[in-house]
Order: sequence, then C-alpha cells, then structure tokens
Amino acid sequence: MGIKNLPVTELRSLLTAVSEHGTQHLIEVEADLMQTTFLLSEAIEKLGASFMAIHGAVMDQQKELSLITNQLNLTKDDIEKLDGIKQKIGQEVNAAVTGLQFQDLTSQLINRTIKRVNGLKELLDALASHGNVMDPGHEHEEIARLLEEMNKNLSMRSHALEGGLRRAVSQHDMDSGDIELF
Amino acid sequence: MAKTILAVDDSGSLRQMVAFSLTAAGYQVVQAVDGVDGLNKAKGQTVDLVLTDQNMPNMDGLTLIKNLRGLGTYQKVPILMLTTESSDEMKAKGKAAGANGWLVKPFDPKRLIDVVQKVIGQ
Repeated sequence: MGIKNLPVTELRSLLTAVSEHGTQHLIEVEADLMQTTFLLSEAIEKLGASFMAIHGAVMDQQKELSLITNQLNLTKDDIEKLDGIKQKIGQEVNAAVTGLQFQDLTSQLINRTIKRVNGLKELLDALASHGNVMDPGHEHEEIARLLEEMNKNLSMRSHALEGGLRRAVSQHDMDSGDIELF
Repeated sequence: MAKTILAVDDSGSLRQMVAFSLTAAGYQVVQAVDGVDGLNKAKGQTVDLVLTDQNMPNMDGLTLIKNLRGLGTYQKVPILMLTTESSDEMKAKGKAAGANGWLVKPFDPKRLIDVVQKVIGQ
C-alpha cells in the first residue's frame, strides 16, 4: 500500500465514532445501574421497615395470645399446635432476615459494574485521543507505530482496570454462608 | 447486664438485620458505618465483641482489626468478620490481622447467635 493510499482520515473518523457511540451507550448503562441502585435501596428500606413492623405486631399478638391461653383450659393438642405455629413464625423470620441481606450483595456487584463502565469510558476516550494524533501526512511506518502504541496503551489500561476490580461477591444464591472460627 | 456487640458495616440494611438478630437474643448492639466510625466507637466504650464487614469506605475491616489489636483494651476482645468475601486468601489475611472467626454473608440469624454465644457467652 502506498503512502497516499492510507485512509488515515477515515480511520480517525472510525475511532472517534467508536469512542462516541460506545461512550453514549455506557452513559445509558451507568444511568440504568444508578437507577437500579436507587430502586433497590428504596425497596430494602421499605421492606426492612415493614418487616420490623410486622415482627413487632406478631410479638405483641403472641403476648396477648399467651395471656389469653393461660386463662383457658387448653388441650395438649391445642398447646402443641400453637407452639408449632410459633416455631414456624420463628423459622420464617430467620429466613426473611437472611433474604433481606440481598441489597448488600447486589449493591457491591452494581458498584463494581459502574466502576468497570467508567473504566471502559476512559478506554474509549483514550482510543479517540490516540486516533487524533494520526495525520494523513504521516509516513506508513509512523502510522503503524502509532497504531501499535495505541494497542499497547489500551491493553495496559484494560489490565489496570481489571486489576482494580477484585471480585468480592461470589455468591450465586441467598443461602446462608459458611462460618469458620480460627 | 447485656453484653455489648459493635456491628460495623457500611450497608444500613445489613446493620439493621444484625442489630435485629442480636438484640432479639439479648445483646446490646452498637452500630458503626465504617472502620473509622467503628474504631472511634470502640475507643469510646467497652465492647465484648466486634463484628465487622471487610469492604467499607474510609477504612476496611482488616485495617480496623489491626488498629483495634494495637489498642491495649482490644488485644483479647473477640473479633469476627462478617463479609461477602469467602476466599481462603482473604480468610488467611483476616486470621493474620487478628480476627477470631470468619462468617460469609448472607448470615442466618440462628447460626450467627450460636457463634456469638460460643465466642462470648449469653
């Protein structure tokens, strides 16, 4: 390929377009993630408040029930049935407490994704900046050197981004986690 | 007199569930929003057990443990990590920093209370 045939202007336009379109989509991804974070935060606040209120009401109800049943001549079967219901409530309360921890896990995952999106935006910005250095007047070898430099820079930035995004949440369900005493 | 547990976590919902579970079991719970807040609250009162998250802004759990172990009054106070982290590498770091145990989130209230009772009693 001769020097005059190098489509540097078109290459620069392509790199700028990739950067601009990519950034625009990533801005939308970030906005959706922020909105999801906000909705999850509000949901857990409401769920937590309702859970506490329901639990308080159930406790009050159990106290009243206990006072009433103490005045009655209940059969052994009746007492066992009431105890069974009480145990069932206790189990469900425990299950709810475990489930209500979802936001702590999901918010960490979302924050990690937002950091990755921002890192990717910086990568795309670097892509456009590197492209702008190229000039139609450059020699073939100079263009090749700039492209290689661009490639190395992107690779370095990508690795740096990955290195700063350690995975802290590996849970795939809401089963309670392991316990280890040292 | 109820034993006091310092619960350190940047997640409000998690702190709420920890406090709910431990208070129901008869413990007094002091809450802190990160390692710095946890350290300040630990210095300001007597605590029987520290339950801390790892990944928090301002100061993480491992740094909090190292700071607490540097204080004379907290050299023997049990410290448990309650975190999403579950790798052996992180557990080893926790043990080296001075943690007495590692609990992976999400926690089950009954199992949490069992461990706390085992470590500091009723």
